[in-house]
Amino acid sequence: MSASDDKRNLGQVFMNGILNENPTFRLVLGTCPTLATTTSAMNGFGMGLSVTFVLVCSNIVISLLRKFIPDKVRIPSFIVVIAAFVTILQLLLHAYVPSLYESLGIFLPLIVVNCIILARAEAFASKNPVVSSAVDGFGMGLGFTAALTLIGCVRELLGSGSIFGFQILGDAYEPMLIFVLASGGFLTYGLLLGIINAITNHRKLMKLEKGEN
Amino acid sequence: MSLILSSAPHIRTAKTTSRLMGNVLIALLPCAAAGIYYFGLRAALVLAVSTVSAVLAEFIWQKLSRKPITISDLSAAVTGLLIGLTVTPTAPWWMVMIGSFFAVIVVKQLFGGIGDNFLNPALAARAVLLASWPARMTSHPAVGFANVDAVTSATPLTTGAGIGDLLLGNVPGAIGETCKIAILLGLVYLLVSGTISWRISVVTIASAFLFNWALSGSLNDSLVAILSGGLLFGAVYMATDYATSPMQAGSQYFYAILIGVLTIIIRKFGVYPEGVTYAILLANITAPLLDRFIPQKVYGIPSIRKEEKKA
Amino acid sequence: MKVTFRGGVHPGHKSKKPTQALAVREYVSDTVKIIMNMNIGAPAVPCVKKGDQVKIGQVIGEAQGFMSVPVHASVSGTVLSVDNIPYLSENPVGCVTIQNDFQDDWVELEPLGDVEHVDPSKIVPAIQKAGICGMGGACFPTHVKLTLKPDQKCDTIIVNGAECETHLTADHRLMLENGKRIVDGLRAVMRALDVKNGVIAIEDNKKDAIQAMKQACFGRQGVRVQPLMTKYPQGGEKQLIQAVTGRQVPSGGLPIQVHVVVLNVGTCAAIADAVIDGKPLVSRITTVTGAVRTPSNLRLRIGTLVEDIIGECGGFSEDPGKVIFGGAMTGLPLPNTDVPIAKSTNGIVVFNKHDAVSVEEGPCIRCGKCVSVCPIGLNPFQIKAATDVDLLDRAKDLHVMDCILCGSCSFVCPSRRWLTASFKNAKQKITLQAKKEAAQRAAANQGGEQK
Repeated sequence: MSASDDKRNLGQVFMNGILNENPTFRLVLGTCPTLATTTSAMNGFGMGLSVTFVLVCSNIVISLLRKFIPDKVRIPSFIVVIAAFVTILQLLLHAYVPSLYESLGIFLPLIVVNCIILARAEAFASKNPVVSSAVDGFGMGLGFTAALTLIGCVRELLGSGSIFGFQILGDAYEPMLIFVLASGGFLTYGLLLGIINAITNHRKLMKLEKGEN
Repeated sequence: MSLILSSAPHIRTAKTTSRLMGNVLIALLPCAAAGIYYFGLRAALVLAVSTVSAVLAEFIWQKLSRKPITISDLSAAVTGLLIGLTVTPTAPWWMVMIGSFFAVIVVKQLFGGIGDNFLNPALAARAVLLASWPARMTSHPAVGFANVDAVTSATPLTTGAGIGDLLLGNVPGAIGETCKIAILLGLVYLLVSGTISWRISVVTIASAFLFNWALSGSLNDSLVAILSGGLLFGAVYMATDYATSPMQAGSQYFYAILIGVLTIIIRKFGVYPEGVTYAILLANITAPLLDRFIPQKVYGIPSIRKEEKKA
Repeated sequence: MKVTFRGGVHPGHKSKKPTQALAVREYVSDTVKIIMNMNIGAPAVPCVKKGDQVKIGQVIGEAQGFMSVPVHASVSGTVLSVDNIPYLSENPVGCVTIQNDFQDDWVELEPLGDVEHVDPSKIVPAIQKAGICGMGGACFPTHVKLTLKPDQKCDTIIVNGAECETHLTADHRLMLENGKRIVDGLRAVMRALDVKNGVIAIEDNKKDAIQAMKQACFGRQGVRVQPLMTKYPQGGEKQLIQAVTGRQVPSGGLPIQVHVVVLNVGTCAAIADAVIDGKPLVSRITTVTGAVRTPSNLRLRIGTLVEDIIGECGGFSEDPGKVIFGGAMTGLPLPNTDVPIAKSTNGIVVFNKHDAVSVEEGPCIRCGKCVSVCPIGLNPFQIKAATDVDLLDRAKDLHVMDCILCGSCSFVCPSRRWLTASFKNAKQKITLQAKKEAAQRAAANQGGEQK
């Protein structure tokens, strides 16, 4: 395998996580933190980055250990690795970004059981070399971050008239409180999912038509 | 000479979808009239905005998604008018408009249009408005033509109005839900015109009454319970919505009792003062399951219990 | 006291108006085309050839086995042709065309005389010989219905005078004008089967017929008139049995399993003719109505062409869009008017172009009206959802095979969905599938035996 091939593959692995296999909008994984922590763009962004950190680190370690972990106990082993990084993350956030630590609350330790991380460990890191595993974790993490930030932006804009805390809509706007409530999370997630599906279906259709012509 | 070949039956009823929806609109007229009488032109404006924007929403959506335009079946108009009747007379026009658009586009059209929605569009919209602008939705002006200032009064359930006032609608509340006589008039029209069957509306009211009686032990309290708030309006116009209520008689009883009991439970033990909206929405979700799992009596097929007895 | 069943609809209030007060008049055409498979069961085989002279009542088609009835010449004259023609939607069938010589010569008859004194064992053979089959529409061979297996018993004969279908008044007129014959036929059957209880069931919108039949029943042993609530499909066999006796025919079963035999009033009158006078079934009363100039109740010879009948009724009054055999709820549409009537043709209804337009299906609004009118207690909405995606097993679980195809659900549907049509289709498919499977099983069994 030549070096250029390798690069292209790494690029593909990276973009895969962001677009084609976006964990939130394509694989519909990790919906619990998606719905719970996206009341504002900042929270969504913070959650996304936290998951990215854990994902990259755990992917690297699991990829390194993949030849030593017996098959029968791989899931508990993965969880131990993931839990270790989540604890590190928790301590770091508590020390340096206490406000985010507060607002993410219980969902921070719950990253341990986030299915994206376990899914990538099982489906990718345990079968691939270190570099591509790290790239995969990074791509997936960024895809997750982008999705959560998008949902967070929409909910914050409609629910409190601001984005990342900056007031966007004027004082005359009366916030639609439902968007910062749980039901608003479902609504936004569902509608965005629908829109993205509609766009991809439309594109596929156009490609098919082009191909036929 | 060419003759048409088509399958029997060769005649169809004159009661088409648009005729039935028209019947519902007619049945809503007394409520609308009473609302305008008690709350003045503001109420008329709210009703107009809600109805027009619902029809407009359906038109725009179907135009954009290149689907056949079906506003002539009047179902969007019914949804719009229902939304207008379930908000307070002081509701701002933009809020009503958002409600109508949400009802028609998100609740109805996104799920496949008429007949395919799993929640009552008008009630789902009301729930969204209630969650979004709770203060605006629950501030009811005192009754009176000249009264324009919104007063956040005690909820209509706790004002302690007499039964006479409750019947006439001389109490604060949403535009359409206050005058119980108008609602009963509408019910009579719906029944006489064969638009709905008596089961859902009557059983809902009766079960709420009986359940409240069992809990409180007071006849008067139970009478007030069914006459106050939106119970009567919900039971007559919302619970009977075709698409979101069960079709089989057995399931209809179950569904109606569920609404009546849930309403009283939410009122008495929940954090919300009024429970009809959520009770009906919850029951809506159960409707298809009820139809599927409550068996119908089929001619010539003995019921399971009878067969067991034989065996 | 009026009795009825659960569900049902009230279609076509005024459709019977034009003909219900018109007395039956006779019409005999120049030629008749008599087809050989008017009944359910094996078709008859022609036993005359071109050029033969025939008399009224002469057998021209011989029955093939027990589940078959003979066919008789309905006019006297010359056989013009014996050939196969396409009849309605079915495969080509045998057909004998006779040129009428208007001599009205009857073959030699074997009358048995008064029904109260005739030997009961001779009654069913006489019915079989007369070629009688159910004249209400189903056309099931009557002698088969009246031949009970040793383990079957019958305690009630119901005569179906409900005539719940729209437009039709043939049975109504028969009851008014010839009530005594109906009672004679009923008594004959009661004596043949040794049954003590005979009920003539009539919808209460025919007060005069109820009165007339009560008079005709006066002094006769064990017969009574039962008024029914006016509702469609009150005349459906299953609904009628439930209304009159309170019993339900088991799913997939026959009325005899609840000890009941149901006969149409026309069939009863034909039985009386066959027993008392020895006359075979060669004519029947048919209502011709709709877009014709003079709607009428006609006594027609079997095999009269629709074209001739419409001519007799003054021709079409408007551009015809659809012509059907039977009433509007279950009637069979005709491809053209060059079609002869059969023993079961109780009506010919002409729709104008406007009424005949095939209605367009709208989206289901789930109003549940189809569920509330279904006389069987099915959920047509769920069945249609299953048949639309060809889930035949699911449709079967929802009891689609119990559907009687009465059309009530389609009639009442505000979105004008083709419910009944898709159930008919599904029933045919399921029957076909079952037959195929049975054949395969039989083949497999044979293979096993050979080994």
